[in-house]
Amino acid sequence: MDALTQVTIDFETSHLVFPRLISVILALMGAAILLTKRQRIAGAGGYWRETLSRMDKARFFGTLALTLLYFSLMVPVGDIWPNTGRGFLICSVPYVLATGLLFMHDRTIRNVVPLAIVALLAPALVWWLFTDLFFLTLP
Amino acid sequence: MEFLSLISPLFLCLVVGGTLVGIIFGAIPGMTATMAVAVCLPMTYSLGLENGLALLLGLYVGGISGGLVPAILLGIPGTPSSITTTFDGYPMAKAGEGEKALRIGIIASFCGGVVSLIALFFFAPALANFAIEFSYVEKFLIILFALTVMAALSSDMLMGIFSGFLGIFVALIGVYDISDGGNGELRLIPPGTEYWLEGGFSLLPVLIGLFGLAAILEEAETGVKQGQTMDDVKIGGGGGFSLGIFKGQFVNIFRSSGIGTFTGILPGVGGSAASILAYSNAKTFSKHPERFGKGEPSGLIASESGNNGLTGGALVPLLSLGIPGDSTTALLIGAFTLQGIQVGPLFIGNNPETWNAMIFAMLLANVAMLVMMYVAIRYFAMVVTIPKHILFPVILMMCVIGAYTINYGIMFDVWTLLIFGLFGWVAVKLGLEIAPFIIGFILGPSAEVYFVKSLESFGDLTIFFTKSWIALVLWVLIIGSLAASVYIARNKRATDQLA
Repeated sequence: MDALTQVTIDFETSHLVFPRLISVILALMGAAILLTKRQRIAGAGGYWRETLSRMDKARFFGTLALTLLYFSLMVPVGDIWPNTGRGFLICSVPYVLATGLLFMHDRTIRNVVPLAIVALLAPALVWWLFTDLFFLTLP
Repeated sequence: MEFLSLISPLFLCLVVGGTLVGIIFGAIPGMTATMAVAVCLPMTYSLGLENGLALLLGLYVGGISGGLVPAILLGIPGTPSSITTTFDGYPMAKAGEGEKALRIGIIASFCGGVVSLIALFFFAPALANFAIEFSYVEKFLIILFALTVMAALSSDMLMGIFSGFLGIFVALIGVYDISDGGNGELRLIPPGTEYWLEGGFSLLPVLIGLFGLAAILEEAETGVKQGQTMDDVKIGGGGGFSLGIFKGQFVNIFRSSGIGTFTGILPGVGGSAASILAYSNAKTFSKHPERFGKGEPSGLIASESGNNGLTGGALVPLLSLGIPGDSTTALLIGAFTLQGIQVGPLFIGNNPETWNAMIFAMLLANVAMLVMMYVAIRYFAMVVTIPKHILFPVILMMCVIGAYTINYGIMFDVWTLLIFGLFGWVAVKLGLEIAPFIIGFILGPSAEVYFVKSLESFGDLTIFFTKSWIALVLWVLIIGSLAASVYIARNKRATDQLA
């Protein structure tokens, strides 16, 4: 009985012990989920089709596309003026404006003007706070 | 009372100012008490030890407390420890009881902070001695207990536990850190991504992604309905709130504050585990557990007194052992280092004035938090009156700032934010539970170290049962929490079938 519970851990491979244990637990629990929820899993295709049909595709995928563009451009733009955080500032202004316009339903002057002011002021204030006051690195 | 000589007008201003800035940091999703302390830490160099600590402790208390504002009004936890505040606070806000929920949260936060402060002051040496006696075995079992109690929070126990283990799995990505006694080898990293994933995923970008970006993606999916902030989230005129709500909550407050304090004391088990344990226990002991998650004040009280209970507890191992109880107190070590002071077992005895000044600063910070938030709650609540088409882009930008600056400028952390934002959106649709995932993610690396080191030291699996009476008590609690979850699930099923 003692031999069954005894464990020797080789230091060289000790980094794999816990991940393997967790993997086995996840596999077992995954199998249990597949078994107990097989009907729901079988109907997953229909669920996702319905989700996609009900989705506001323009706003959802638009947000993703704008965010991807924002993240991708920040560093290259910032590299033009290294260690100034201008990459963040220059990219954040159009990002906030574009995302705001995307989320806005009633694009009237009365709604767009406050958004435009925030899109200019918010990134500028944050940029000033973090670069000039807190001396934190921004892209 | 010699410490009173250290209390100057500057000291008082720094505590109050630090608390105000901390509340603002905590109230903005993606910005935390940890970040507030990190940002202001360099300023303490010129302030001296006591004044520097006054500022940082104010930031700490304010930052933890401020997290309840977005948690209640937006359903986005401002800080990791506010996760459970969203469970009942947000439903209350959606039911038009935002101000009532905020006031309940503020008072519960104050109670938690004061209870933990009393515990810190009177029982610090004893509590520290108790925690220091924990071996890796007991520490591992504490984490296992934290994970199993999460099952009680999940709507589906199986998916809840699976999500918790998935969180652990994701947390193990990267190097098995030498500083934790590991061998420095990489694991679970796809080929070609070693450069980015060597240190694994950072906690804050993961949290911001799961709770910030994912929430906004969900809103975008449904078309960002206009007027929701004003019409659906009714702050109200303060009606419905009275101190009578706290009648019969003494045990809940004391238990939750105690859990928060105790969790804070245990190194590595601090953080959001405090509020989750407190919430889970309040639910387990409640006469109406079915009301939890639907706007139950008891849940809100448990969460907020639990997470503010952490503030005093987390300082115990820091000041008595030099071991931080959570990530924010880890940064406080920096303040001592800047002043050339070693924190350890001799600290309190050798620096009684500083110790007393710290206690006074914590007390003042809690009072300042209560007064400022209670009086100016409508101003703090105004964040939800901003139209979503203005609020969300600014929150997204702040999320980027939070992710980018937490490790002082790593772009991969920003991509982590996007990865986990998408994961959070998909996970909900797959039926995964985000809260257990996060708990697994936070506690995973510690669980690994404690588990592997236990086996390396003793070479026998039975050690997890035979190490000490504490281990046995913890097993009883683990089995009890699982049994309670099964019992609750069966009761719920039976009730659903009857309905």
